[in-house]
Amino acid sequence: MNHRPFEDWLLEDRPLSGREQRELQVHLHSCPSCAAIAESNLALHSAHLTPAPTGFADRFNQRLARWRRRQRWYQVLGTLVLVIGGLTVLYTVAGTVVRQALQSPADWITAATVYLVFAVESLRVLNEVGRILLRDLRGFVSPLSWMVVSLGGVGLALAWAVSVRRLVRARQGV
Amino acid sequence: MIDDTARVIQAQHGSEEAFTELVETYQSHVYNLCYRMLGEPEAAEDAAQETFLRAFQHLHRYDPRRPFATWLLSIAAHYCIDRIRRRKFSFISLDQEEEHDAPELPDAEAAKPEDEAVRREQQEQMQGAIRKLDSVDRAAIVLRYWHDCSEAEIAETLNLTVSAVKSRLHRARRELAGYWPTEERQPSRGRRPHESPAF
Repeated sequence: MNHRPFEDWLLEDRPLSGREQRELQVHLHSCPSCAAIAESNLALHSAHLTPAPTGFADRFNQRLARWRRRQRWYQVLGTLVLVIGGLTVLYTVAGTVVRQALQSPADWITAATVYLVFAVESLRVLNEVGRILLRDLRGFVSPLSWMVVSLGGVGLALAWAVSVRRLVRARQGV
Repeated sequence: MIDDTARVIQAQHGSEEAFTELVETYQSHVYNLCYRMLGEPEAAEDAAQETFLRAFQHLHRYDPRRPFATWLLSIAAHYCIDRIRRRKFSFISLDQEEEHDAPELPDAEAAKPEDEAVRREQQEQMQGAIRKLDSVDRAAIVLRYWHDCSEAEIAETLNLTVSAVKSRLHRARRELAGYWPTEERQPSRGRRPHESPAF
């Protein structure tokens, strides 16, 4: 037999039958390159785990504690930056408005009252329109159709919720 | 006896004690992989600790259907591969890497001191040879022979296909034989303990 199958057996590192083993042994006596693969395979098969140094877990716990302290510090720093930044933006944006409002309280009280009246009036009108629409539509649409439309709406809402859940599910692994 | 999944769940709920138990269980597996990949005890310890820290930070992303060991070794292997690649960019040559001695701890199971000495010498030669492999091939070889991982497990750990793992192992074995010291190239003498199946 030529060299190739023996080299393939060794490089695949698979179990051999008794006959294959005998043939390989004979070949190894005459083939230095296959003998080298066989020797390195032997060394690989006698590999042992190197144990972790003593105190590894304790040192890890110290590292974990350092990491936690650093995280807390970053949190405090982040909160401070957010608060200071927020206050600066608030002062810049709202400062002018607040100053003007404090200078002429009558103006802003009038404006606020107008807005309030507008909001209340809008709600009242919307309520009236809705009531009229419902009363008139009731005559045109049968209760069965209402039920079908309602169920369809619920189905769509469920499909939307499931899709969103699937999309936002956290990816596994690191 | 609490199993890994229960410990992981406890750790996911904030139990540092449970995570410490996981560290104690897997410290040698992770350390050994890092040591075989990086070749220096200090770098290996740092990499192993970083692996556990990353595992702790990303524990919420662990899928309990996967073995915890595979997940941990995957983090360690990818971290070491990145570190080796960064090292290459730092222009540290392989010769410089080899200057570090690779201490082998004595094997309690060894029958005779001379057998142990031969084994240690062989392992040092092997450590020198695997350092010359490509980082991913190195990880595949270490997982296969030091951690007894199957090709499917290696594929899962290194995010490769099984056929890619087979081809990498094949190539790595050929390269290792090429780096094996010439005086070792003697014909095989009978069957030895831990002998390769291909004998």
